Amino acid sequence: MKRLAIVVREDAYDKILTPLAFAYLSAAEGTEVDMLFVNWAVRALTEDGARALRVEGAHADADHWVRERVAAAGLPNDVRTLLAALHETGKVHCYACSLAANIFGVDDGNILPEAEGIVGAAWFLNEKAATADHCQYF
Amino acid sequence: MNRPNVNETLDTTGKCCPMPMVETNRAIKALLPGQVLEIVATDPGTRTDIPSWCSRTGNRLLGMTEDSGVLRYYVQRV
Repeated sequence: MKRLAIVVREDAYDKILTPLAFAYLSAAEGTEVDMLFVNWAVRALTEDGARALRVEGAHADADHWVRERVAAAGLPNDVRTLLAALHETGKVHCYACSLAANIFGVDDGNILPEAEGIVGAAWFLNEKAATADHCQYF
Repeated sequence: MNRPNVNETLDTTGKCCPMPMVETNRAIKALLPGQVLEIVATDPGTRTDIPSWCSRTGNRLLGMTEDSGVLRYYVQRV
């Protein structure tokens, strides 16, 4: 697989782990990975947003336990550090959806330096998702 | 199987997907063609991930052993 596109909408800590882990795995094999963060997940591309992510819903009380297990598995157990690790591969490119950025308060002033920037969904869908070998939606 | 001559050992004991594969990709790049990497793992997912990765990359899986939940893979860099 040469190119993978991933759309991330879920921002609960446990739900965002899977697309980030898949991106890490694919990048390790040399796959170019393009990730579009939409809806609430766009806030993961900010310093405060990434650090604020928590396990939610029925498993909310297991946040600390999940982080311990993630660390034991060898992954950075905070999303901010994990995003930096993905960036360091040189293969993972994270984009903020412009609509989501507008709604949820992400702009050029607070987006993480590891992110590629704020983009239109049409651009991502046509230039990245439609031309990728595979597209995933989380 | 006879243990092949190993040039490097990567110990991923205790780690889970994606780290064994992330680290395996990194470790194999540090070897010269023909050299052998021993991967020690406890993640059962490696039973499928490593043979599949070898098929995709052309690296040669010389063999694997399993003893008390500890998996050892011997991969020769292509």
